[in-house]
This record gives sequence, C-alpha cells and structure tokens, in this order.
Amino acid sequence: MTCSQRIADLVECARRQGEPDRELRTHLSICPRCSERWEREEQLTAQFRAMRVRAALRTSDGFTGAVSRRESLMRNFAHIHSAKQHRPAKQSWGWALAAAAALVMAVFIGHEAGKRPDKPVSPAVRTHVIDNRDEPVLYQASTDASALSSDDFIAVPYTPPLAPGEMVRVVHTNLYPEALASMGMAVNPLWAGNLAADVVEGEDGLPRAVRITDNGQF
Amino acid sequence: MQPSDEELYRLMRKGNQDAFAQLYERREPALYRFALHMSGSAAVAEEISHEVFVQLMGPSTRFDETRGSLESFLYGIARNLVRVFRRLGPVAEPVDRPFDHDILGELIDNETTSALHRTLRELPERYRDVIILCDLEERSYEEVARSIGCPLGTVRSRLHRARALLSAKLKRLNARREVVTR
Repeated sequence: MTCSQRIADLVECARRQGEPDRELRTHLSICPRCSERWEREEQLTAQFRAMRVRAALRTSDGFTGAVSRRESLMRNFAHIHSAKQHRPAKQSWGWALAAAAALVMAVFIGHEAGKRPDKPVSPAVRTHVIDNRDEPVLYQASTDASALSSDDFIAVPYTPPLAPGEMVRVVHTNLYPEALASMGMAVNPLWAGNLAADVVEGEDGLPRAVRITDNGQF
Repeated sequence: MQPSDEELYRLMRKGNQDAFAQLYERREPALYRFALHMSGSAAVAEEISHEVFVQLMGPSTRFDETRGSLESFLYGIARNLVRVFRRLGPVAEPVDRPFDHDILGELIDNETTSALHRTLRELPERYRDVIILCDLEERSYEEVARSIGCPLGTVRSRLHRARALLSAKLKRLNARREVVTR
C-alpha cells in the first residue's frame, strides 16, 4: 500500500475520531510524512468539532431575532394564503373575459381571412382593370409557373413569391399602360389606350405576372 | 412516521401553515449553520436562513421533485444568497465575535479557530461546500452527493483535497505565528 492510499485511510480515521489500525500505526511510526499528516488531520477534526459547537450556539440576540423572524414568516405565509383563498372568484371572471376576448378575436380574424381573396389588395392595379374578368383559369403554381414564364409572361417585380402548391389564376383583362407602370413594369410610351392582357394572380389576389395579348400594340 | 420534506412542501403549497412551520423547524437550523460557515457572519446567516423560506413560499419559486430533493434545493437557494451577500460587500460582523456571557464560547474562541474560519472562507466554493456539509454538518457522503448533485467519489476526493488545503494553510499560519512570537 502506498503513502497516498494510507493518507486516504488516515483522513477517514481522523474524521471518525477513531484510532488507526495496527497496520496504519506501524506505518505512521516509520513514515514521518504520514505521521505529520495524521497529526494535522487530528487537529483539524478537533477544530471542526469546536466550530460545530460554536455554530450551534446562537447569540441571545440572534435567538430572539430568529424567533421574531419565524413569527413574521408565519404571518406572511398566512397572509399570502388567505389572499389566495379570495382570489379564485376574480380569476374565474378574468378567465371568462379572456376567453370571450379570444373568441371575438378568432371570429374577427376568420371573417377577415374569408374576405381577403375578394378584397382588392393592390388598388393601384385593380382600379385600372376595365373589363369584368372572364371566367378565370386556375393553375397550380408548381406545375404551371414554368409554362407561364416561358410564354411571354413578364414577372411583376416586388411581389411575394408563390407558396409551394399555391393556386394561381389567369385573368384575361384590359389594362391601361399606366396600370402596368404602377406594377413596376417597363411601358412603351407609344402604347395608347387599353391593352388586352393576361394577368396571373396568386390566391392572395396579387398579380404575379402579366402577358400583353394585344399584339397590335407591339 | 414523519412526513418527508417533499410531502411537507406539497402541503405547504396548498396553504397548510403547520407543514410550513414543520419544514422551517426541521431545516432552518442547518441552513443557518451552513450560511454561517459560508459567510462568516452570524447576522448574514440569520438573514439568509430567513430569506430562504421567504423565497420558498414566494409565488416565483417552483421546486421540482424530479430534479432533486427539497433539502438540496434549499441549500442551493442559501448558496446563491451567500453569493449575493458577498457581492454586496465585506461582512461587518465576524463569526468569531466573542459570545456575550457565554463561557463555552469564550473558551473555544481561540486563534486557531479564527484562522480556520478565515482559511475556510478563502477556499474555492466546491471545497468549502463539502467541508461544511461533511465535516461541520456531519452529513454522510451519500447525503452530500445528493445535496450538491455530484458523484459520491467526487465528494470524497474533494473533501480530502479540501482538508489537505486547509491543514497546509493552517500549518503555514502556525509557522508564521511561531516566528512572530519568537
């Protein structure tokens, strides 16, 4: 057994305030380092014992203070819990009001969401639509977008991209050149009057692409 | 059979004042001693042992039984409060203040004990925790391991290391004192 292993034993022995066993005693008698450590460990244990006694004795001020603090704690506890007992009635009203508010909000949001596709989102564009829409043709963006873009459609800049699977529709309509300009598209100053055009709209009603079908203007 | 701390806590949360009082009686003295050894001030220890229970009954404190025992939770609060008090500044009242009209206190109030207190406060917190809980509170390694949330072997090795550090420091202090007295 090495000295470091014996030291672990002697520390535990000193902590228990016990006597070292015969083997350890023999080692202590021949090893000055372990012997010195044993003495220090014994002293430490004695000091800790004194500190324990000391900590157990509260001063008279401290003891009186502890009693009054205990009483104040108990008063606070009683106060908190008596207040809690009166609270449930208020809480039930609060919950009822919150639930009613949430319901009204949900109805309002649902109503608004239902109205949204029919509502003109971009008045600058819609006010310039002259004809009533023909029966719109529905396309799914994921399959039709490439076909549309390769077919003289010009993407309307600064519009949000279509969501995957979002349905689009093509509206055959007549537009003023100003309407195209307001959508941020390049307009030939020679264009005059209405232009027959196909407008690709997303489900939100915003135009995503335009194709001028009035070839006579080009 | 006495109810466990956790049972008392559950009752306390439901507004049972007796359960709270029982918990206080059971845990406050040990928390006071822990805070006393950690801070070195009886006044601070009184404040801390009180504040732990104020926090325990507060609405923001939620003890979770699945994460450990209530006792270690309380020690955790006390440890944090000691840190707060330490940040606030030096403690005015030393722990080794002579006890008024206390013969036993005067008898044991010797220089070595004072030096040990000072040395203990200078130890890193992980060592101080195990010294206080194992040697001053006389708790088993298992209890301390649960309390500070580390393996039993770690508690034992930290304690041995802490004792070695303490005794080495005390040895240096004694040697210095001998030089001064000569």
